[in-house]
Order: sequence, then C-alpha cells, then structure tokens
Amino acid sequence: MRIPVVVKVGAFAVLVMAAYSGFANSIPQIESKPPQELSLEGGNVTPAQLVKAGEEIYKTKGTCEICHRIGQKGTSAPDLAGIGARAGKTKPGYPPIMPAVDKPPIALNRSEVWALVAFLESLGGTVDVTLNDIPATVGAGGAGGAAAEIKVPGDPKAGKAVFMGKGTCLACHKAGDIPGAPVGPDLSQIAKIQTPDYIMKKILDPKGSGTVANFPPGVMPQDFGTRLSAKEYVDLVAFLLTLK
Amino acid sequence: MTIARRGVWLLVLLGVALAVLAALPVEAQTAAQGASRDPAYRAFPVLGSRLAVWAVAQLHLNFAAFILGVPIFAVIIEAIGWRTGDARYDWLSHELVKLTFAAFSTTALLGALLLFLFVGYYPKFWTYMTSIFFPTYWIYAALFFAETFTVYLWYYGWDWLSGSRKWIHVGLGILSNLFGTAILVVANSWVTFMISPAGIDESGALKGGVWAAMYNYTWMPINIHRLIANIVFGGTICAAYAAFRFLGAKSDEERARYDWMGYIGNFIALAAFIVLPFAGYYLGREIYAFNQTMGITMMGGFMSWLWIIQAILIGILFLGSNYYLWLGMERIPGSERYRKYVPPMLIILTLGFMIWATPRSMVVTLDEARAMGGTHHPLLGFFGVMSAKNTVVNLMILTTFLSFILYRRANKIPTKPWVRTGMAVQWTAFAAAACVVVFYGVYGYFVESIVRIGFSVYQVVAVLGAIVLVMAIDIPMFKGARTTGQIRWGTIAPHSQYVLILLAVTFTWLMGLMGFARSGIRQHWHVYGVMRDTSVDAATPALGYAANVITLVTLAFFLLVLFIFWLGGLGDKGQAEAHGHAAPAIAAGRGPER
Repeated sequence: MRIPVVVKVGAFAVLVMAAYSGFANSIPQIESKPPQELSLEGGNVTPAQLVKAGEEIYKTKGTCEICHRIGQKGTSAPDLAGIGARAGKTKPGYPPIMPAVDKPPIALNRSEVWALVAFLESLGGTVDVTLNDIPATVGAGGAGGAAAEIKVPGDPKAGKAVFMGKGTCLACHKAGDIPGAPVGPDLSQIAKIQTPDYIMKKILDPKGSGTVANFPPGVMPQDFGTRLSAKEYVDLVAFLLTLK
Repeated sequence: MTIARRGVWLLVLLGVALAVLAALPVEAQTAAQGASRDPAYRAFPVLGSRLAVWAVAQLHLNFAAFILGVPIFAVIIEAIGWRTGDARYDWLSHELVKLTFAAFSTTALLGALLLFLFVGYYPKFWTYMTSIFFPTYWIYAALFFAETFTVYLWYYGWDWLSGSRKWIHVGLGILSNLFGTAILVVANSWVTFMISPAGIDESGALKGGVWAAMYNYTWMPINIHRLIANIVFGGTICAAYAAFRFLGAKSDEERARYDWMGYIGNFIALAAFIVLPFAGYYLGREIYAFNQTMGITMMGGFMSWLWIIQAILIGILFLGSNYYLWLGMERIPGSERYRKYVPPMLIILTLGFMIWATPRSMVVTLDEARAMGGTHHPLLGFFGVMSAKNTVVNLMILTTFLSFILYRRANKIPTKPWVRTGMAVQWTAFAAAACVVVFYGVYGYFVESIVRIGFSVYQVVAVLGAIVLVMAIDIPMFKGARTTGQIRWGTIAPHSQYVLILLAVTFTWLMGLMGFARSGIRQHWHVYGVMRDTSVDAATPALGYAANVITLVTLAFFLLVLFIFWLGGLGDKGQAEAHGHAAPAIAAGRGPER
C-alpha cells in the first residue's frame, strides 16, 4: 500500500517534535517559583536564627548568589568573605550594578533586609544589627507597585472587635494596646512590615503563606475564610492595616 | 474562494476589530479612574488562563511572523522578475503572496482571540497596559486597516497592474511591507515594555508621553531580531510547502518547479539566518544593560538549560541547511570539483555544534551546586563559556557561507582575467576572519567578562566584513562565467525535501522556545518590577512542561497551515492555465539556469 505524502510528512514532523520534547523532558527540571514573604517581627529571634533566615534570603529571594560568591572571586560582584569585618568599604574594580534590594523586582521587606544584614555581619563580624537599625521606610514600596496595590474598604473599628471577639485573634497575637498571648507573632507593627496582599492571604491561607521564623508551624487555624463573613474579614484586614 | 466570499470575511474581521475598539475606551477610562471592579484574574475553563493565552499567543505569533516575513522577500522576488523579465520570479512571488493571503484572516482572528483572552482573564493586567499604551491602539488599528487593504490590492491587482503599470504593483508590495513592519514595531513596544519597562514612575504610572514607554531597552533589538527571524521563518515555511508539493508531484515539470521553489525558500531562510545570531547578541546585551540580574538569570539561572536546547536546535538548522546545499549540488553538473570541501566543512560544523551545545553548568539548583562543590564541569566547563560559544558560532556562520558560495559557483567557471587575484583575496578574507574569531575567542579566556563581552563585536565585524567582501568580489567575478551545464531541477534526492521540512519544523519549534524564554525571564512579573503576577500561574514552568506545550502548539500550527493552504489551493484547482500566473516550465535536466 502506498502511504500518502501527507501521512509521511506528518509522521516525520511529529517524530522531530517528539524528539525535541523528549530531550527537554530528560534534562533537570526546575520551576521558578515566586518567593515567599518572610516576617520576623514580633518574634523573639536570636542572632543565630536571624543569621539562618538571612542566609536563606541570600540564596533565594535576595538572588545575591547570582552575582556574589563567598570565598570565591566573583565575575560580576565582590567576594563577600569577611564582609562583616569590612562593611562600609567599597570594593573597587566592579561596575556599580547592585540593584536596590528593597525595591522591585527583588523587593525584600524590612524583616528580610534585617535578616540579610545579620547574615552578612556573621561573615567575619559581630551580629548586632537590630530591627531599629533598618530604616522604617525600607521595603515600603512593597512588591508589585501601584498597579497591584490593594485598597481595603473595611471599618477598622469593627475589625478591632472581630480581632478581640469572633476572630479570637488575641488568643495568640498581641496588637498594639490589645494584649495577647505570645503563641504567634506580635502584630503591633504588622502594617509597616507587611503588604496588604500578604496580610489578606495570611488570614485566609496561613499554611500557604509560610510560618514566621521561631514560631511553630500549623497553629493558625485554616478556616477563617468560612468562619468570618466577607464584611468581618474586610474589617479585620482594615484594622490590621492601622497597626504601624 | 470567490471575491464575494473574501469580502464577507473582510467585513466580519472589520466588525470584530470595531467591536474591540469600541470596548477599549471603557477599559481606558476605568484605568484612569484607578477603581476597576473587575477581579484581577478569571480562570479559563479546564486549561487554565496561562495555557490558553500561551497557546493562542504562540499561534498568533507564528501566523503573524509568516504573513509579515513572506511579503518582504515576495516583493523582492517580484522586483527581480520585473527587472529581468523572467516569468518564473513573478510566478513565485504570486505563489508566495497567495500563501500569505490564505493565512491573513487566521492571523487577525487569532489576534482578536488573544485580545479577548487578556481582557477577559487578565483584566487588571490589561487595564494597566491600556493605561500606558492606549494611544498606540489606534495607531495599530489604523496600520492594520492600511495593511489589509494594501495586501488585498497587491494580490487582486496582480493582472490589472501588470505590464507598464508593474511599478505601481511593486510599489504596493513595498507599501504593504512598510505597514506590516510598522504593525510589528507597535506590537513589540507592548511586549518589550513588559520585559524592560520604561517611561514610568515608581508607582508604575506613565511619567510623560507614551513614546518613553515604547522606546524601552529591548524594543529596538526585538524589532530587529523579529524582523530577521520572520524572514527566516517565512523562508522555511515556503520551502517546506514546496517540499510537500515536490514529494506529491505527478510530473517532472511539477517536481522541477517545486524543487526550484524549495531552493529559493531555503536560500532566503539561510541568508537571513546567518545574521540572526548577531541580532540575538544585541538583544542579550540590551537585556543586560537594562537589568544585570535579569541577564544573569536568563543565561546562568534557572533558564541556563534552555540555551543548550536552543544551541541544539540552531546546530540542527546549520547542519540541515548545509546538508541541503550539498545534496543540491549533486544536481549541478560541474559541482564534483567542490565535493572535497564537504568533509572538512562537516567536521567544523559538527565540532561547532558540540561545543555550542556544551552546558556551562552541569547542575541547575544552588543546592546541587553546593553538593558538587561548584557549578562547572572541570573539563567540559571549559567549552561551556561564551568565549568558546561565540567562536564556534562565528566559524559555523563562515562555513555555511562557504557552502553557499560553493553552491553558487558549482556550474560556473569564471572567465575574468583577474580570477586568480579575486580568488586569493576571497580565501584570504575567509582565513583572516577565522583568525580574528579564534584569536578573540582564546584571548577571551584571559580577560574579565566586561572586556570579553566587547570581543564578540570584533568577531561579528570580522565575519560580516568577510561575507560582504567575498560577495562583492564573487558577483562581478562570476558575471558572464562559462557554464558547465544547466541545473537539473527536480532531480534532487527526495530525502532532501525532508531536510526542508525538518528546517521548518525546527525553526517553528525554536520560535516557540524563544517565546517561552522571552516571557519566562520576567518570572513572577507581568511587567517586570512593576506589576507582579499574583495568579495561581505565577510560577514559571520547567522546560519539560514548556517543551510539551510548544510541541502541541506547533503541531496545531502546522495542521492549521495545512488546512489553510488546502483551502487556498481549492480556488485555483482547474484554472491554473486561465489565471495568468500559470507556472513556467522548469523541466528536469533542461531548466533554465538559476
């Protein structure tokens, strides 16, 4: 039987594309996932924990390893070995390409910059950075710019009532003048250190939003989305955004 | 298809375009008020929004590249036919425009579908883009109308504007290309703004005029890169079409005709393909200039393996193009003289292919790198750096050019008195360019990267200089040359036609891969550093998944092309002779010289 040209050509084309796909599937597979937000404020963080969190940021969200090496001469940026002892001095011979890490696209928040500085101090220096050393304006731009900005139309007063009442948030969190148990982080300055987007997501999906360093994972209930009405949820967020 | 039916299609398209334009001001006003009540995202059923946009965007780009690329060389071929009086070229140009014409409506419909997907499933993103680029939408629409009417006039006026009015017809072809290129340039400003936003303040709002947003870092390099790539793409698709017709040909005459068409298609693709890597370098440099982090992420981050796949595909394109030329030489009497050059050229191309495809990093994650104590293979890493890759790709370009030169003179013996000097200068130009390329390639290992990047310019200039010089000597040297026999069109080995199909499939797949790279370097940003992707699809997928999507979309593209070309051919069935563009005979073994 004579095979039609269209079948032969079609089979050949499919075979070629299948080979390309097969090769692409045979190499190491890696997804580029959006970075998680890290919050350290309100927690009782030791220098060692701070350094550990900072190292993680150095390797992941901070994307520092793209240019810098530790104990190895980099091609694009200085070797950071011993940077803790010589902080403040510039390393000549490299182009000024360092981006502002608290601005998009890296967009580290204040907690993350704090941890990162602690990690860099640990490289040959003494870890003594405190949150107050990091200007409050750091990371204020948030991650996403104006186009992704969220305006919450809730009532902060009603939200405070939800925090103390139906939401039972004070069972685990302190918030300004509201005393709370130290089971979870102190939220007294949460609006200053986190984006509205993060706060809203954290209430609805605590597990998927990561756990604040030095606090046990899985404690925060996952059912606020069904327990609170839409108005209560929006009011609660509006209240939390007043905590600066 | 009758003119009346085409007219109905045109009216439908105009209706769609007007409906979209009527809807746009609403979006723009909402953006200006900054109080859209739309959700940020909606979910496309079953597939998900990202996959839906991905598939339609890739299909739209494939068709758009075809209908923008083919007319560029169609008008050149028509002009050659007009000036030389050779009817073959006029027939070929008409045949090419016919293919373009058949794909025109599909391109427009896919564009409209893509717009609907953005408006419907990414409303916040689209509102933001509209707040920046709204004035350009009108320019785009106006250009689209102008392009549509000019191409219609170009196609349908082929007979009407012949003879003494041919210059008007060629002018229409040039005009339609200008409109088409302008459409490309406007659309590129949107997509490049997403990669390298400019002209906006920290909040993402437009600071001055829209021009500042259009004229961003990657706009001009992508304009150039896409323009050249469209020509390559158009050439490969036309060559594949010719190959398909060649394989199904019933007569020697038909086989000869499509053999010739396939050769021309491949020649066009190859000529443009040779300069494409240079445009790619320019784009890469501008990405680094815009944002070093983005550049390093692109070349050395999670995308590093993508460039290995790209290298393999480009290696296949180089090898395939050369192999086709070598097979083609077998149908040229007198080409036996040049067979001895094939083995060394094959060795250079194969070694170049292997070095170009050598990965810089053998691992992909930082954890794996730490576990291995480094990211570079102790031996292969030596070939994985840009110094080696730049060197071999330039040598591959030179080799391919040599293949073409040998093919060009296969059945010619020059008779000019200065032949020896001319040949000596040509070979010296080849050798000098190769020496410059190798010298800077080796020297690059001993200098800092910032210096090394500049070396690629010297290598490119050396290669392009050699190409220009060799051609400048070759054309007058072989003018009026003695022939060793006519090209036996149609007698080329049938498997050569599968090489043409391989080239078309590979280049289309490569376009899909590069589209993924262009989009993927933004990672979790709709507009890099300005508007974050907070959808469920914010993660950039791994290469395996991307490759599967690219394969399925490429398959869909070829099925659509097959269907559209079949539809386009229905109208001509049984009336080829009456049409006035009946193909001139190029019978096997007695066809005219190319």
